[in-house]
Amino acid sequence: MKVLVTAAFVVLAGAVRSEVLLSDDEIQQTLSFGPWPISLQSDPSNRVSSDTRAIALGAALFNDPVLSADSAFSCARCHDPEQAFTTSDARAFGRVLVDRNTPSLRNLAGLRWYGWGGKSDSLWAASLHPIIEEQEMAHSKESLKAAISESIYIDDFEAIFGDIQIQDPELVLVNTAKTLSAYLETLATGRTQFDDFRDALENQDLAAAANYPEAAQRGLQLFIGRGNCVFCHNGPRFSNNEFHDAGVPYFLSETEVDDGRFGGLNFLLSNAYTLDGNWSDDAEKQGAWVVRSVRRSHSDFGTFRTPSLRGVAETAPYMHDGSLIDLDAVIRHYSEIDTERLHADGEAILSELSLSEQEIADLTAFLESLSKVP
Amino acid sequence: MIRWVVWFLVSSGAAVACETAGQRMSSEIQNAPKVHVALDEIRLSQPFSILLTVCDDVAVSEVRVDAIMPAHQHGLNYAPKITALGDRVFRADNMLFHMPGLWELRVDTNFGRRSISYTSDVVLK
Ligand code: HEC
Ligand code: HEC
Repeated sequence: MKVLVTAAFVVLAGAVRSEVLLSDDEIQQTLSFGPWPISLQSDPSNRVSSDTRAIALGAALFNDPVLSADSAFSCARCHDPEQAFTTSDARAFGRVLVDRNTPSLRNLAGLRWYGWGGKSDSLWAASLHPIIEEQEMAHSKESLKAAISESIYIDDFEAIFGDIQIQDPELVLVNTAKTLSAYLETLATGRTQFDDFRDALENQDLAAAANYPEAAQRGLQLFIGRGNCVFCHNGPRFSNNEFHDAGVPYFLSETEVDDGRFGGLNFLLSNAYTLDGNWSDDAEKQGAWVVRSVRRSHSDFGTFRTPSLRGVAETAPYMHDGSLIDLDAVIRHYSEIDTERLHADGEAILSELSLSEQEIADLTAFLESLSKVP
Repeated sequence: MIRWVVWFLVSSGAAVACETAGQRMSSEIQNAPKVHVALDEIRLSQPFSILLTVCDDVAVSEVRVDAIMPAHQHGLNYAPKITALGDRVFRADNMLFHMPGLWELRVDTNFGRRSISYTSDVVLK
């Protein structure tokens, strides 16, 4: 009987009331997650940013084992274009098992930090380190220059950067990384069901907005409300792109920890490939204030960069160590979070949410709506 | 595009001078020289600048700027850069609020050997 009454109410109310569940305040907050896609300018620190030849060369190199010292594998081994530029392994495996999960490489253009610990302040630096990283491509500058010189890409490389033989090996390394970066800048996730909802709200088209499932709407309400998710996952990318402790254990073994942001900053501040360094092509050094003024603190220890949630349904498993197998597991993690385990200053924002099964399902529906419908 | 809106929680003590230099900051010290702060629209996680004006005729030897979120002790991840513009006006650049909510802006000003702290609450929605 109750069901019948409810149904009748919906029919009667349909003409005057839409099924948008959000309050005006919630609508305002929802608008801040867009519009999508965001318009991006070329990277001033990379002179081949947006250059079509560089993009094509970068794409080819990304997928070619020429970038690894022993031609063992390409960047795509871990960042598989068929799997949203990651793999389903918890932790990346190249030569050895790496400590961390492989991030998807979409929506990276224009960020302030790269990597789980933010060890790079530009996309070209983040593309450069894996080339010479021993656990990844394991090239030296010299072996890279030799490999490019002897490869089928030499003509394309010289068409962009000139005669390779008169280039210092370090310049070849930076140039190669800048083509990879030019390519990676073009990778973005498309519009989603959430974006249609958000834009409908902006246009005050409640009829169109009502196409967005109510479960996802309730999940969104939790996300910006009681769940506190929006404190860290905000803006069009659903990330503040800063570093936090989300309660994921950071012990690698009984004696070793993943120091996260702490180590990322040590690395950043001791290497030459920053926006304040000589390899930036930007005479005005626009982004350099970041590395110049970033503060270090003991609470950086074991914090990690807030991941973007766009396309998140396509990139399981989750967290810096890939320890949570699906979105349901992530939400249960936040729901049952052990605040005692939050280290350093702790994240006073996180608290045990004790979500109901319904709420867990709603949050999952919301997160799934941030990915393209297959 | 919708921006994060910002406004000051009205603090006690109406501004008497310097109205054009923004909002008066509060201090627990009685008869402290007046310090005003002016800021443009603040966008979440984007750098912004503020302008500080000391409205009384006193010599200022140093100005330091910081901010925290009292609710969960998050501070600034980047050190503000202070530039003296002359006439007791200072600009702080590279300010960045990386979370929405209430931020307490804190300005420590040295007048000779006397150091006075000022605060203003800023809500980033
Ligand atoms: C062995 C697997 C593996 C290979 C091969 C690999 N990567 Fe990665 N990549 C990772 C992992 C793991 C991370 C996260 C590292 C970290 O944050 O410490 C990462 C991070 C990145 C990032 C930063 C992403 C972000 O969200 O900030 C970029 C860019 C990147 N890789 C590009 C490349 C390029 C270009 C290549 C080839 C030259 C490459 N990777 C090869 C596993 C790999
Ligand atoms: C205090 C900041 C903060 C809050 C609040 C927060 N997150 Fe996170 N989130 C993070 C960080 C940091 C990570 C990565 C943690 C790690 O790897 O150790 C993360 C990871 C995730 C991931 C995994 C993404 C991936 O690609 O691995 C999802 C999904 C997620 N959060 C959803 C949520 C939801 C839903 C909420 C609200 C219930 C929430 N987050 C609240 C900071 C936060």
